[in-house]
Amino acid sequence: MSGEGADLPALPRLAGALRRGVSALAAGMAYLAGWNYIACALFITADVLGRNLLGVSSAATVEVTGYMLAGGIAWALAHALTRGAHIRVDVWVNRLPLRLRAVLHLLALLLLGAFAFFCAWAAWSLVDESLLFDAHDNSALRVPLAVPQGVWFFGLAAFCLAVLVLAAEGASLLLVGRPAEVDRLLGPRTVDDEAAEALEAAAMAREAAEGRGPA
Amino acid sequence: MIAVVVLLLLLGVSLAVAAAGGQEVPVGAILALTAVFVVFFGAGVHVAAVLGLLGVLVGLVFSDRPWWDFAGQTLWGPSSNFVLVAVPLFLLMGDILLRAGLSDRLYRALNLWLNRLPGGLLHTNIASCAMFSAISGSSVATAATMGSVALPYFTGTGYSRRMVLGSLAAGGALGNLIPPGITFIVYGLITETSVGALYVAALLPGLLVTGLFVLVILAHGLARPTERPAPVPFALKLRALADLLPTLALMLLVLGSIYAGWATPTEAAALGAVGAAVFAAFEGKLSFRLLNASAEATARNTALLGLIVLAAYLLNYVLTTVNVPQTLAAFMADLPLPPWAVMACILALYLALGTFMEGFSMIITTVPVVFPIVTALGYDPIWFGVVVTMLVEIAQISPPDGTVMYVLQGMRRDGGPITDMFAGVLPFLAAYLVAVTLLMVFPELALWLPRAWG
Amino acid sequence: SAQMPTSLPPGPKVSIVSVTQPLPTQPQFTRVDMPYLRDMLRERSGGRIEGTVASHAERNLSGTELVRLVRSGQADIGASTLTTLSGDVPIMDGVDLAGLAPGIGTARRIADAMMPVVNRDLERFGTRLVIIYPFPAQVVFCRQPFASLADLRGRKVRTFGNSLVDLVNSLGAQPVSIGFPEVYSALERGVVDCAVTGTGSGVAARWPEVTTHISNLPVSWALAGYMVNINWWNRQDPQVRAFLEGTFKEMSDKLWELGDAATRDGIDCAIGKAEGCRIHTLAARPMTEVNGTDADRAQLREILEKTVLPGFVKRCGARCGEVFNQTVAPLARVRFGG
Ligand code: NA
Ligand code: NA
Repeated sequence: MSGEGADLPALPRLAGALRRGVSALAAGMAYLAGWNYIACALFITADVLGRNLLGVSSAATVEVTGYMLAGGIAWALAHALTRGAHIRVDVWVNRLPLRLRAVLHLLALLLLGAFAFFCAWAAWSLVDESLLFDAHDNSALRVPLAVPQGVWFFGLAAFCLAVLVLAAEGASLLLVGRPAEVDRLLGPRTVDDEAAEALEAAAMAREAAEGRGPA
Repeated sequence: MIAVVVLLLLLGVSLAVAAAGGQEVPVGAILALTAVFVVFFGAGVHVAAVLGLLGVLVGLVFSDRPWWDFAGQTLWGPSSNFVLVAVPLFLLMGDILLRAGLSDRLYRALNLWLNRLPGGLLHTNIASCAMFSAISGSSVATAATMGSVALPYFTGTGYSRRMVLGSLAAGGALGNLIPPGITFIVYGLITETSVGALYVAALLPGLLVTGLFVLVILAHGLARPTERPAPVPFALKLRALADLLPTLALMLLVLGSIYAGWATPTEAAALGAVGAAVFAAFEGKLSFRLLNASAEATARNTALLGLIVLAAYLLNYVLTTVNVPQTLAAFMADLPLPPWAVMACILALYLALGTFMEGFSMIITTVPVVFPIVTALGYDPIWFGVVVTMLVEIAQISPPDGTVMYVLQGMRRDGGPITDMFAGVLPFLAAYLVAVTLLMVFPELALWLPRAWG
Repeated sequence: SAQMPTSLPPGPKVSIVSVTQPLPTQPQFTRVDMPYLRDMLRERSGGRIEGTVASHAERNLSGTELVRLVRSGQADIGASTLTTLSGDVPIMDGVDLAGLAPGIGTARRIADAMMPVVNRDLERFGTRLVIIYPFPAQVVFCRQPFASLADLRGRKVRTFGNSLVDLVNSLGAQPVSIGFPEVYSALERGVVDCAVTGTGSGVAARWPEVTTHISNLPVSWALAGYMVNINWWNRQDPQVRAFLEGTFKEMSDKLWELGDAATRDGIDCAIGKAEGCRIHTLAARPMTEVNGTDADRAQLREILEKTVLPGFVKRCGARCGEVFNQTVAPLARVRFGG
């Protein structure tokens, strides 16, 4: 990360620093979301074993794991964005000239932002309504709905923030005439990115295989 | 190109529908919306944003209700739905198995048995993918797992690069069809069809597609013989079978727990994930680092699917409030065409959409609209679930856009162009189409087993 | 009694969106909603009122969100079961507690008495109940034989709603929560041993294929209600309101008749008695009917008093206990706090 864009004007540099901060926050939230799925697997497994072997069941598994999914999706949205993982149909865009491509990347991001803001606003209205109703679910735990919905809203709000800082950086780079850097920042993930990711997992697998010694 | 044709067709249909309903036709609005849709897709706007904003626009133009006041509930419903919890759990299981190196053992063991057939290692690709599909519900996870294991075995061999990539992509595209599968879970959720029955119905078609893939490779192997490796002593082969045990045990755990009545299909995915971690622990590979990496990958991939689900549900809610699916279903059912012709049109539409759309977003946007038509025509929901899943799998491996192919391309280290993949996958794509046609002609391929079973 | 008027004076057009039963195949939908809220509204109003009717399934709803649906003006009229809505409006549970009404007559008297009470709470959310009606009696379906409620001890029972969970727990059985679409295969594979639902609803969901015994003892009625959006209602021309009020009254009578008829019909269809099976479809594999005993009824009453009713008051607040004692106790002869 050091020295990245050292020759850039102040505005995009500031925006870049902001974006890196938000990316770190988003990554932290995504790891939590992922561990939440591991907890989910353990919770459901315990419920299945309990029901079949001991005759006990939490009677709230369906609801609680549903909330864990909602929270998990929302909390990892921003991270998926900063990692460029959200799916785009980009067969045509990548054949356009650089300048046009950079503008389209920014446009796509802004439109994604518009949808993200709509979702976050809708989520907040739902939390607000659940507070008005003092609504609870019908499970044995009677969870106040505003709690899981509030967690869900927080994730969507973080997603909006990530769109904002990314768009700010993209726009400032475009303003100072650096379309190539916009393309690198907002462009579709290159084969290299995806390869790096797959190779990282494969490397871990190979490590595992080698650790086992010759068979 | 195909996309535009499809959209114009859709426009024609919607005009005809509106005309048949005797209403005044808002041609301008429909044309404008179609144009927005085309421009959005062409400009590389994210799939979720296209769907979601299309929902917002349709709502603003056509609905006289304050639909936005219910949007929070519309988005919350699917994102907190227990049935969808299976999605991250399957992704988690696949990732743990890959990182713990268990998939590598599966591949090596199968290889000892298959590598002397005409086509050699290519058969191992299909067989290991098919076996992995029986524990994993995700095509991308299947392709990523078996692809990263298999590719190193081919470096420095005389195998056709195209066939290697093609067979791995095709094998990955068994991931959803051979039960368990995320597509079935989502389909069951949307249409209120039993996921257990869908799994049973998919068994024979899954075997059929696998068999056709084997034939493709045999034909290739006979036409272009490669050097056969030296025979391996039978005792060694037998001993290698032990390496299949973790996979077979997980298969038993995931599918067995459903049919023994211990768990629902969603719960079985959780058992699979925990089971994978237990096997990793037996191997001494379970570590914080492994779980942490798997957690991140699972969260990221679930989020990108989840965002599309949110958008699709919003679009679907708005379309339903303005009665689009209902009108379309009534119109299609009244067309002066035999049901099979309408069905053929529907399947053609899926094939066209599948070339540029990703499988998951395709099913979630189209099934709510198409399903009422299918039932109105008198087709069996279980049969249609299997056919749609096959079409989704075809979408994943039909050029130019397919997640499975992208994932595999990302793993190559020879730096070759993605067109290798496009060329290599074509014979397998043809085999898949043959299977869909067979299922059209002989629906019993899917329906016989669930009936005999129940 | 009041009836649906046969005509409506001409005036500005009114379009009414109704979202009613869980599934479009339910007799409440095909025999009441479609004829009244769509066809007869149009015919008798001389085309002035245009009604569209959809089920929860067609609108992709789970049923819990109906108050919010009507409140936000997505539908003008919405219907759902009261227990399902009780997460948003807890007092609704008190109309239909497990074991409260042994017969459909008592259930209707309790429903009539509670409607104004529930509406005091609902009006805060901009909605109002206009009809409370029953689904067929909620009974136990099992995949193994049983002779009484006591036999359910130790079995896994699929339930929904808090008061049924309390009941099943008190019987020494294990409540399991599974979404309705998964119940069929859960019964088939033995993920659960028993499940509670309406007699007719179970038959419609093809449960006779996967269960063998059906009880005829109503544990509750799955009372449900139609709500209107108050703003929308107040905006209507008084003549339209009077026309709709008459419609609701007539629908209410029809729905209670249907609930009564469908209860016995569902059992007859399940046990393969063709002459009694007119509303639902006859089961291909007849089930065995398990007669409710006096001991069952006594046990149900005891559990209501000791567990179900206190559980309801705990969830809903002390005020609900008072309301219950004032309004329901004289009809059901059960008091909260003895
Ligand atoms: Na699978
Ligand atoms: Na494709």
